[in-house]
Amino acid sequence: MTHSLHRSGDIESQKRDFNWFMYQTKGVNDKNIRDKALEFIATAEAWHSENWGDVKTGPLTQYSSEEIRKNISDKSRIRGVFTSKEQVIGFLKDIKAKDLGMSVVITGVLSEVLPACREAGVTPHSVNYSLGVWGNKSRLPDDDTLSITTMCGHHMIPPKFVEDVQKQVDNGKLTAEEGAKKLSNFCYCGIFNQIRCAEILNIVSEKKKRDAAGA
Amino acid sequence: MTVINKEKCVGCKTCMKYCTVDAIHYLPEERKCYVDQSRCTECYVCVRQKVCPVGAIETVELDGFFKQFQHVMSDPVENHGVTGVTGRGTEEVKTNDVSGRVKKGFAGFSIDMGRPGLGVFLRDAEKVAMAMAEAGLVFEPPETTPLSALMTDMKTGKLDDACLDYHLLSVIIEGSCTLDKMSDVFRALQKVEKEIDTVFSVGLILRVDENGENPALRELDALGIPQPHRGKVNVGLGRPLSTL
Repeated sequence: MTHSLHRSGDIESQKRDFNWFMYQTKGVNDKNIRDKALEFIATAEAWHSENWGDVKTGPLTQYSSEEIRKNISDKSRIRGVFTSKEQVIGFLKDIKAKDLGMSVVITGVLSEVLPACREAGVTPHSVNYSLGVWGNKSRLPDDDTLSITTMCGHHMIPPKFVEDVQKQVDNGKLTAEEGAKKLSNFCYCGIFNQIRCAEILNIVSEKKKRDAAGA
Repeated sequence: MTVINKEKCVGCKTCMKYCTVDAIHYLPEERKCYVDQSRCTECYVCVRQKVCPVGAIETVELDGFFKQFQHVMSDPVENHGVTGVTGRGTEEVKTNDVSGRVKKGFAGFSIDMGRPGLGVFLRDAEKVAMAMAEAGLVFEPPETTPLSALMTDMKTGKLDDACLDYHLLSVIIEGSCTLDKMSDVFRALQKVEKEIDTVFSVGLILRVDENGENPALRELDALGIPQPHRGKVNVGLGRPLSTL
């Protein structure tokens, strides 16, 4: 799957949006992964990963760290979110030192991720480059909605639900942070960046207020 | 199959905003909601999130291989039966440091049909797959990527006719070609993108040097394809490390 790759929206905002992954290879190192997964989680927590999860349980925004860790099996896939390059560098340095032998992936804006790799002393092996959306784009939702829905690459976040949450933020029924948490719970993997989402909800809300005041 | 029990439905329309592909509609004459079975992808968001206040959304047995395939591809909680992988059922670049799936001198393609968020009828996935195959793409085998299991001809990308009307939230076309054929495959994509009624997100997988670069990216300029600013970087910590 390529579920963290094709995020959209303002590039500066994307520069504060990184995903980390631990991955096992079928038939090679996919047995008895629990202890290694726990090491990854401990390292991510030490670097204050803002959200993380396992699709078999759900995201940290909805479940406790203990609940997610308890359910880890060989079918688990552990992944999460960082919001700064410094976290990525620290995480990679520590994971490299632990030498767990699992594949590690960092997704984000390349002008941030590749320097982070250099600073951490890891050597990129392969890259999956995002070359954007092709086809009948006239059917897509608006850019603001897409910048939120694409943070769940499996597209578990319905565009109309985003619009509904945005309205509640606009009307003061939810704070942007509360709205972002509601949306993040739909992304079972834990790669949804609720911090960035709250920023986007706030920006859209403020813009609507300015437009209304200017009308 | 996901259905709305008409005996329980109170017509509040709450469920409609939770459908990922707008497959839940309201029937004014009955004051009830219903699921458009031709568009529902069986992603189970409405089921797992328990969005109906009266519990009217129910699942009935997924009858047949294609129906189960549709659900497994659309619901990331499920493991794909053959590849053993959750999500869209493939390890893709994420384990390339160990699997060596995309090697030096090759371009890997990861075409995410239906993404972002529109969904895809398999007939459109077939069109794109066949266009890429004609241009030189060799598909990943069914053991490593789910869509190949539906192909009746792995050389042409032809899918089983019986699956073409199934609607999935997304499915990935995966394969590779030698670098000298990469531009041909992109030209095929540029042509076929105008012939389908959905979208796809394009991923290009390359082995990179120690700086994370590959000169093959320069070919994109001649094709009018913007240089990528996002990437999924496999940082080479998996063991045993593939040097292929």
